[in-house]
Amino acid sequence: MKDRLISALQASRAEYTEIRIEHTWSAAVTFRGARLESATASEDRGGFVRALHHDCGWGIVAFTSLDRLPAMVARAGELSRAVRLDESIERAEVAPVTAEALADLDGDVRGVALAEKKRLLEGYNTEMLAVPGVVDTHASYHDEVTEYWYANSDGTLLHELRPDVTLSGTAIARRDGTIEKGLQSVGLRRGWNAVHDHAAGFREAARRAAALLDAPTVKGGTYPVILDNELAGVFIHEAFGHLSEADFVYENPQAREMMTLGRRFGRPVLNAGDDGAAAGLRGTLPFDDEGTPTQDTALIRDGILVGRLHSRETAAKLGERPTGNARAISYRHPPIVRMTNTYIANGQGSVDDLIRDVKLGVYACSAFGGQTLLENFSFTAAYGHMIRDGQVAELVKDVVLAGNLFQTLDRIERIAGDFKWNQMGGGCGKGGQFPLPVTEGAPHVRIEAALVGGDVPA
Amino acid sequence: MIERVIDAARERTDAADGLWHRVERTSVAFEAGRLKACGISEAAGINLRILKDGRVGIAGTTAVEPADLLDRAIASAALGEVVPLQFPPATPLPPIVTQSKAAADASLDQLIAIGAELVGRLAREGCQVNVSIEREAVETRLMNTAGAAAAYPATTVAVSVDLTRFAGDDVLLVYDGCSGTELPQPARLDALVASIERRFVAALRVVEPPVGSLPVLFTPSGLAALLLPLEQGLSGKAVLQGISPLGDKVGRRLFDERFSIVDDPLVAGRPSSRPVDDEGVPSRALPLVAGGEVRRFVYDLETAARAKTVSTGHGTRGTFSKPRIGYSNLIVGPPPSRGSSDSFGGGLLSGVKDGLLVDDLIGVGQGNVIGGAFSHPVALAYRIQDGAITGRVKDAAVAGNVYELLQRIGGFGSDGRWLGNRWSSSLLVEGVSVARR
Repeated sequence: MKDRLISALQASRAEYTEIRIEHTWSAAVTFRGARLESATASEDRGGFVRALHHDCGWGIVAFTSLDRLPAMVARAGELSRAVRLDESIERAEVAPVTAEALADLDGDVRGVALAEKKRLLEGYNTEMLAVPGVVDTHASYHDEVTEYWYANSDGTLLHELRPDVTLSGTAIARRDGTIEKGLQSVGLRRGWNAVHDHAAGFREAARRAAALLDAPTVKGGTYPVILDNELAGVFIHEAFGHLSEADFVYENPQAREMMTLGRRFGRPVLNAGDDGAAAGLRGTLPFDDEGTPTQDTALIRDGILVGRLHSRETAAKLGERPTGNARAISYRHPPIVRMTNTYIANGQGSVDDLIRDVKLGVYACSAFGGQTLLENFSFTAAYGHMIRDGQVAELVKDVVLAGNLFQTLDRIERIAGDFKWNQMGGGCGKGGQFPLPVTEGAPHVRIEAALVGGDVPA
Repeated sequence: MIERVIDAARERTDAADGLWHRVERTSVAFEAGRLKACGISEAAGINLRILKDGRVGIAGTTAVEPADLLDRAIASAALGEVVPLQFPPATPLPPIVTQSKAAADASLDQLIAIGAELVGRLAREGCQVNVSIEREAVETRLMNTAGAAAAYPATTVAVSVDLTRFAGDDVLLVYDGCSGTELPQPARLDALVASIERRFVAALRVVEPPVGSLPVLFTPSGLAALLLPLEQGLSGKAVLQGISPLGDKVGRRLFDERFSIVDDPLVAGRPSSRPVDDEGVPSRALPLVAGGEVRRFVYDLETAARAKTVSTGHGTRGTFSKPRIGYSNLIVGPPPSRGSSDSFGGGLLSGVKDGLLVDDLIGVGQGNVIGGAFSHPVALAYRIQDGAITGRVKDAAVAGNVYELLQRIGGFGSDGRWLGNRWSSSLLVEGVSVARR
């Protein structure tokens, strides 16, 4: 393969050319209720070429017929020439590197029979179904190993093995017209050795779904809100992380002004970053999909915006250094600026310290989802508790947090010292590329005041 | 290819069906007003389902010579559930044109020209315009061991445009798009430009949101939050699993009597139209909600077999996973009438003294959708006062329960349009909770 890549690059007449070849073996098992939906093993292979001529735009080709690689390289060059630009696209310098990163697969999933995978998931599904009140479940297991080749005309040549394994469960509880759900999700850049011993999480999700049947809807209004580790992680990813992706600002002077480095984004307690090199996480890789080494990038330090996430193109445009954040979900897509493992750094004290002096507030836990549209966001907690007189009180449901990013970041007043990475499945979506494996991490966080939707009094 | 796979399956299994897709996508992207990238993607893949000893197995591949595809499907069936699947026999298919030769043959320069025209017309000082044009040419072939076989070509041209303005910490984003099997006609592009401009200009002034239980006018794009629970609840799968609130309500009046939903795979010019579904069941229009009553649910082959009914032709499948239920074109509301107007709110503004026009919400699809309750902050919404738009509203959230709100429809607009695979007009709903944050 190495020789094929090098000779294809040599034949290219473009100023810059890069090639990715991916071969993915995957297995998927799904249960719905007590029934097996499907158990399948799949194989996907394909390639991607991106070329750039001087004073031209990107020419991009994705394909499944790998035998046509030389023709695809030529095609990418032609497409680039079709895009005439007055101003050339520059790429920030990255030292060429040759690397074999054949990660420890931690139990190669390709050597495990599909029947074993079915048996494992069936066990977890049964845990959920055994909980009284649960009427339906959705459980899934997915694993893959990708053999990955990357080469570019700057001289970088990479060969990697990238494992990924995810387990997820949704328990649905119903009583008459009331339907509630509980979620469990595990995602790891590991193998078969890592998928055991997760029964407690599935059981807990099912119990929560059943418990929510009796929980009242949270009364809408503005409260002090404490986010648990998981929701705080989703918050920093969704509400802030996407704005720190430099492709959001690099072509837009006004956006750049809004995201000027040195601007105050929060109180001095707030520190946040993105670490693509953190050990053992789903968002971790040695190099991004442009061959740039990954790193820990500080984004907010002591409340001040100090960095952003880059591809080679956005870094060159803004005169900053590439951060190793150009990622693609597969050979079908070009690399774009993405997060890896995004975090709020540790503060001090325990969650009890955050709750103790709250008279009436909401403890928002776990996430069903979150969406940001520029400076506005909305997050749906999986469940919540009221806080009354410094104590965690009754379970409440339909806890939706909505707000303005700038106001909300500025209202983060306390951060506990109980940092945790959330090793979840699923992934991040952007520009039609979903799901990209990422991780989020945070301690418990207290927001002075946030709007909690739910039962809005008319 | 598909013939060889099915023939091989015939010898080693009880029954089989397969779908082969080949997609060639050409895309051009304008970023911040200038052409930035052109791309082509070519992908072919085959999805095979077999029955062996009554058990279902699935396998998929993008490999050119799928040597072990059948072996993998048989291995999958060894673990599979017993399902009394019946593959449909050969049947005449309804006529529907899914391909435009002009779209299939359009050159890269033609696609670039469409984008350049839109960029030129929408450029504004201090704003960023992004435009993308995507042309897809798809070949589909499907076949089963019961004798059904179909092959059809299809084209889709999708145009999407967004206009962003930053003013301090205020970000205004207005976007829209159009799609069809053909290249967009000048009138369609005119309408796209007008739609963006109308919403952009009205948004420049920011006003205070109203608060309380108010009339809210949902535009076709704002309507997604109200329709998503119904789309989930009308799925035969949700009914079978016992989680659809509509499951035991067929024939009951649940909504305003003018409210209807039809799934119609035979609408000319729409990308989701098709002569046959991905499991070989011929297409036909199907009323799901009529006169405010739930009429029926949608099924694919497997869900139908388990629910002891017949497939409604709603099987859809990708390369790697098993067929699942998917809608084709959903036509919501009273059916399209001639001479649709293109005004803001479809002529419904005049009846509103104080309320909100909601064009886009944040977080639709999160949470416990199928139950019908929702609460979303607005992404793009306007205040209506004395029958006119007075400005854009920020920092507001709307909440309610779909099953209650759709009983209180104040009117259907005359601005019906396609948005993706859904046709609808604006809908005025009374008594929606509007909160301020």
